[in-house]
Amino acid sequence: MTDRRRVNGPVGSTNPPVFEDEPEQEFGAQKGIRTRTPTATRKMYLKTGVTPSASGSAYLEIEASRKGAVSGLKLSCTVHGPRSLPRSTPFSPHIILSTHVKYAPFATKQRRGYIRDPTERDLGSHLETALRGAIIADRWPKSGVDIIISIVEGDHDRETSKSQGGEAWDMMNALSGCITVASAALADAGIDCVDTVAGGVAALVRDEGDDTTPRIVIDPIPSEHEQILAACCVAYLPDRDEITNLWFKGDLPASDMELYSQLVEKGIQASRNSNEVIVNSLLISTREQQPHERHDGTTRMHIAFNLQR
Amino acid sequence: MASTQHALLSPAELAYLHASLSLTPPIRPDGRAANQFRPLAAETGILPGTNGSARICFADGTEAIVGVKAEVERTRRGDGGREDGVEYVSSRLEGDFVEGVSSGEGAIAAVDEADRVGESEWVELSVEIPGARDDDAGTVFLAAMLAEALLAGGEFAKKLWINRRFHWKLYLDILLISPPLSYPLPLLSLTTHLALLATRLPRLKSEGDEDPFFDDDWAAAPYLYARKDGKATARPPVSLLVMAVGNNIIFDPSKEELAVADVALAVSVGEETATTTAAEADEAQQQQQPLGRNLRLLSVRTIDPPSRLTPPGVPNATNSAYGAATTQKQPEARAAESEAVEGVWKAPRGGAKALVMAALVQKALMRGGVADEVLDALDAVDLVA
Repeated sequence: MTDRRRVNGPVGSTNPPVFEDEPEQEFGAQKGIRTRTPTATRKMYLKTGVTPSASGSAYLEIEASRKGAVSGLKLSCTVHGPRSLPRSTPFSPHIILSTHVKYAPFATKQRRGYIRDPTERDLGSHLETALRGAIIADRWPKSGVDIIISIVEGDHDRETSKSQGGEAWDMMNALSGCITVASAALADAGIDCVDTVAGGVAALVRDEGDDTTPRIVIDPIPSEHEQILAACCVAYLPDRDEITNLWFKGDLPASDMELYSQLVEKGIQASRNSNEVIVNSLLISTREQQPHERHDGTTRMHIAFNLQR
Repeated sequence: MASTQHALLSPAELAYLHASLSLTPPIRPDGRAANQFRPLAAETGILPGTNGSARICFADGTEAIVGVKAEVERTRRGDGGREDGVEYVSSRLEGDFVEGVSSGEGAIAAVDEADRVGESEWVELSVEIPGARDDDAGTVFLAAMLAEALLAGGEFAKKLWINRRFHWKLYLDILLISPPLSYPLPLLSLTTHLALLATRLPRLKSEGDEDPFFDDDWAAAPYLYARKDGKATARPPVSLLVMAVGNNIIFDPSKEELAVADVALAVSVGEETATTTAAEADEAQQQQQPLGRNLRLLSVRTIDPPSRLTPPGVPNATNSAYGAATTQKQPEARAAESEAVEGVWKAPRGGAKALVMAALVQKALMRGGVADEVLDALDAVDLVA
């Protein structure tokens, strides 16, 4: 008599599946080499309106450069507000902006705690500077807006050696993503901005090899290069041709200001690329929202609603 | 944030200040030239319990002290979470070691200066601003900026290397002891600079990878930044605050001046460590050229100017007290978006042109410019450790 009360395992013996290991490579060979052209950014996926409960939201994903080794950056941003401030706060003639950037505990190689650490706070204040220039703040006196970004997956290479200090450079990539995603979320929330601000990173890198001279690349991945000499992250308003936030870090001779200007110029180029993504994504989402009259009399909005159900 | 603290100025005052700072040459409230720093009093070696310390007092009454403390720490593998004291030998060094043995050169080959690796975790920097929480965004921003400049290029962390098993852990405690009357970045940076120049670490007596053993004699302790003939051969970075108003570039702005800034930047400058050879120095002397400093640009950060948070002025044309029609009741119908009127303050919107930002950095780094001047002034401070 078989036991029918329990879900039993199969009668015969089974073997647990054994997966083949990934082919082990030499340490040197494991390092990826940049295959993009120096002026190409990685592919980006940006979608607005992903969080229904927030007044504006956006999700940004940047593709991983290689399979397995690097995980791409994944960011989610919510904008709450503009909403009135509590009665106890003093009068403000402008909207009060508060930015909050948090890595998920599992986002990076080293686990992050639940309390924001100094790098996250630092990112938050950079983001605030970048956005404050873009928002037309005097249209909302006595109100506040909260911009909350969670970095779901950081752009971290598992193989990068610690001594290279890749984490410090990854912060720049994260900031540029934060600026881009926050800008899209602000637009989704309908907060007036002078322009859509977008982030871009450019770096002066030295590649492996003996006789390579440093070159400037945009959207750098630290693990793809032997050494990063300097990098800069730019938040740029393309219509006004203005920079709202500039963060440069590295070591450059002061006599060579040309190199610095080139670096900023490339940073602007990178942010123009991400701005295109924002504009396209916003166009798509407005087209989706607008009810279009169709020849059969139904609206597209209606169809979309049906599909959702 | 410390930079966004409201300067309690009315729109009329702001407009006046902006106008006078936009003149050529600019007229500053305290009568300084555009590239003149506030006068300062500095001393070093004020804290006997530290490896190096300094105090700087600016003429406007802001004052900061910095203490540098060093501890010997075991170098560990950082990523594996191995807290059992397993020593960390980088793969590169390991390779050297194996090579040395195979070629029969003996035990552990001496590590070259070039092979020393420092890590940014060996420096811990904390900033304390009275009245601000230590996890306040502004305080964190200041600390990150100072640490970023110090660790740029990785040269500083290399100085903390003792041997393959041990390193110095350096604690930099930066205290602003007066209320923050102005954005404290230049003050804190200059004080940190002096404290690091005055920092001495005990002389190492042990050799190779032995447990470190130090000389008791404090007088024999070498400076962290090596000195020759009473002058430092290398020096820590300084961060300068630069802002633009109209067509003018103004250094070391006070709080009131910062309140009308179009754009403000913090520029960190280091000095090239490469020593000029005697022949080069002779050549320069023959050509009657002043042997300027070889400066390096280490970091640039945009400071959120508090001007964006200032209240706007109301032009007479829309002011009911001056006979403007008050028919519109709704606030959104109010002429808030009026054109800029001459002499009426309006908080700046948007960012700054890339060219303006480049000019700010250029001006700070110019040979014989402000950075040179500040470093010269700091050179004149006697070091008492």
